[in-house]
Amino acid sequence: MNSRSNPTLHPGARVAEPRTAPPETVRRSYGHLGSRFAAIGFWLALTVLYAVLTPDTFLTAGTFQTIFGSQQALVFLTAALLCTIIVGEFVDMSVASNFGFAAVLVAVLNVNHHWNVGLATAAAIAVSTLVGLVNGWLTVRLGVNTIVVTLGMGTFLLGLGLWITDLTPVSGLPAGFAQIALFTVGGLPIGFYEGLVLMLAFAYVMTFTPLGRNMRFVGANREVSRLAGVRVNRLRLGAFTVAGLIAGTGGVISAAATGGFDATVSQSYLLPIFAATFLGTAILEPGRFNPLGTLIAVYFLATGILGLQLLGASGWVSSVFYGGVLVIAVTISTLLHRKVR
Amino acid sequence: MSSRLRIAGVSVTFGRHRILRDVGFEVGAGEIHALIGQNGSGKSTLVKVLTGLYTAEPGARIEVDGAGLRLPVRPLDARRHGVAVVHQSLGLVPEMSVLENMRVGRLTARRFTRRIRWDDEAAAAARMFDRLGRRVPLDAPVHRLGEEDRATVAIARALQDTPDGGGLIIFDESTRALSRRSLEHFYDVLDGVVGAGTSVLLISHSLEEVADVADRVSVLRDGALVSSGRPAGAAGLAKVMLGRVLDEISSGGGHTRPDGEPAVELTDVVGAGLDGLAVRVSPGEIVGLTGLADSGYDRVPYLLAGVAPVTAGRLSVAGDRVDLDRLTPAAAIGAGIALVPGDRERAGLAMDQTVGENAALPRTGGRGAGLMPIRRRSELAGLVPWLDRLDLRPRDPHAVVGTLSGGNQQKVVLAKWLSRDPKLLALHEPTQAVDVGAREIIVAAVKDAAATGCGVLVASGDENELSMLCDRILVFRDGRVEQELPGPCRPDDIVAAIFAATDRRPLRGGRREGARA
Repeated sequence: MNSRSNPTLHPGARVAEPRTAPPETVRRSYGHLGSRFAAIGFWLALTVLYAVLTPDTFLTAGTFQTIFGSQQALVFLTAALLCTIIVGEFVDMSVASNFGFAAVLVAVLNVNHHWNVGLATAAAIAVSTLVGLVNGWLTVRLGVNTIVVTLGMGTFLLGLGLWITDLTPVSGLPAGFAQIALFTVGGLPIGFYEGLVLMLAFAYVMTFTPLGRNMRFVGANREVSRLAGVRVNRLRLGAFTVAGLIAGTGGVISAAATGGFDATVSQSYLLPIFAATFLGTAILEPGRFNPLGTLIAVYFLATGILGLQLLGASGWVSSVFYGGVLVIAVTISTLLHRKVR
Repeated sequence: MSSRLRIAGVSVTFGRHRILRDVGFEVGAGEIHALIGQNGSGKSTLVKVLTGLYTAEPGARIEVDGAGLRLPVRPLDARRHGVAVVHQSLGLVPEMSVLENMRVGRLTARRFTRRIRWDDEAAAAARMFDRLGRRVPLDAPVHRLGEEDRATVAIARALQDTPDGGGLIIFDESTRALSRRSLEHFYDVLDGVVGAGTSVLLISHSLEEVADVADRVSVLRDGALVSSGRPAGAAGLAKVMLGRVLDEISSGGGHTRPDGEPAVELTDVVGAGLDGLAVRVSPGEIVGLTGLADSGYDRVPYLLAGVAPVTAGRLSVAGDRVDLDRLTPAAAIGAGIALVPGDRERAGLAMDQTVGENAALPRTGGRGAGLMPIRRRSELAGLVPWLDRLDLRPRDPHAVVGTLSGGNQQKVVLAKWLSRDPKLLALHEPTQAVDVGAREIIVAAVKDAAATGCGVLVASGDENELSMLCDRILVFRDGRVEQELPGPCRPDDIVAAIFAATDRRPLRGGRREGARA
């Protein structure tokens, strides 16, 4: 506004007018930097706090391994949720159940029906992908409300999972199969690296490729994207399908890690994935859903809960922490978004 | 003349920016007072102070009939003092009935059952229409009403909050979507209102409208009030508003025009509200399309962009046949057609993405699920010259589009498509809700594009915009071209052709002259 200093400006002079960068741009980028890394700073501060309060238990390799080695399920689930949330489908409530159903299915097919474990894996992932495709078909092609479709689908799958397992946990997957999740590399199970690779690939797609750019625009404004030649519906349908694929893959890896699965467990992931995904919008790219921010948020939350447990808090703490963080994270995300605009 | 509204000492600072500096003016009883200013002049900030969205710094005073309002302004308090606000595009909810629209926020209930007394509500609403001397069916949903009746409802609704023959109505860009005929009706109704003693504060981008209707005008420039007085014609107002004389570009033609195959030829188009349409645009020619609201002229840019399906018709672009009935947006872009849509927020730009990303979308969009990295440096290198030419402020490709002013947003939409080097530019109201400075730049950019051989179609209901841009103008009726106006065309001729035989009488013409004499 203060750059309108030249009242005799006319069209011929437009190009030639020199313009110095206004100082507020520089200040804004510092502020930007601050909000990008504020959450990471907070995470480090939390770590230091726990280290000071419970140095004997917190500052151990075991703690490090617990935080980074046990979150593979959450990483896959948040990635699945991000797929649809980025293209503007507000929430896919079925990812957790879809994940759980794949985990249960691979165990049931292998243990109860004696399928080859590879075949069971392929079948479970195929079913999850199909579930994603059905979700997408209903919302994109038929225009049914996303929340209703996915909430219904999630509950439906949970019920199916309980039915095929006769309401009891299934276990007994072969020990060799566990290696796809637990094979140790550099002190951490390979599941950690699988999650890391998934999120890095996701971040690459979102940051550098036309596909990622188009996904973000479809999420930001469908009509603008359509007029620019983006095949909006195909992209939305693809996002639902890939969300199913990622959830299914995560489920199979989780089942492998524990040697079986309990159909009811998946429900406890529902809130944490929302908490982590929304907290992720406050990290690295403020106001935007982004894969690496979400990955960091997952470990942030794991740190917070483990620390509280080491301080003596018991079972209730994860509900309080995840619930509280979800509300706070959504608030922060809303405020950041307003600031960006 | 006693003063109805007095504003004094209003200052607003955001961060280190002084948006408003000690602004003050008065609105007299029974006058239409216009507030104008370029985008970024602080005009919308002042309106937001008046409506209570922003808080002014201590020392500000806002008085109605001598009684000070409590600051920050609270809508209920302002309403009690007789101040009503009509927001952009009349502020009506289309799905609700006239009665519901009139009474929302004022509904009263029976004491015990808490049911709404619809009889009383209807009577209260009817009283307002009586005061205006107009009739509108109370139970009709607003979207079924014609534009003129909608304008009446908006005025009647505001009138409820003003005491008979007193009070103040603030119109915040309320009239920008109205056609010329509805605008005439609107000011006919409003004339009766101010004649009875109610005051009006009119905020508008249209200097022509302001020059016609306002009794007095206050002009904001760079956050300060530069003038408050009688309007001196649209050109005079523009001069005060910009602090300089507008360059003479306000007529069609004046750009070079290369020869060659027709840039675009549309024949026998049926569907999307059109019936046997034929249009031919030569390279470098700027052709205006206009007509009454339902004549179909405004569908043409969208059918060319592949978003308004037609049942039959032929299209050729630069000599190449294009399949019109199976045209997708991607195919249209591939054929060299660029659409600048009328609804910037819904169809023009993704408001929370950056300038650079928005401008690059047509390129990345066509590549669907491409996984090769985007070359950001070349992406920006292609864009920056356009930002220079369109004088984007701030000239920062990383700025989030939603933070720019309306005029600058429109420049981004234009840059997005001009940087594609289109063969045909299809524009829908390209300078709507844009201040004169930006309008001048946009008009120049479109003419530059035409001079390099691009064919241009401008669909618009704004005669001033058409007159500025077009080499010739096609007037639509019932889905086909009824009349062709060879250029250059004066705004009056365009309006006359649209309404065929109805003359473009000045808004509020008779009464104001009479009052002055």
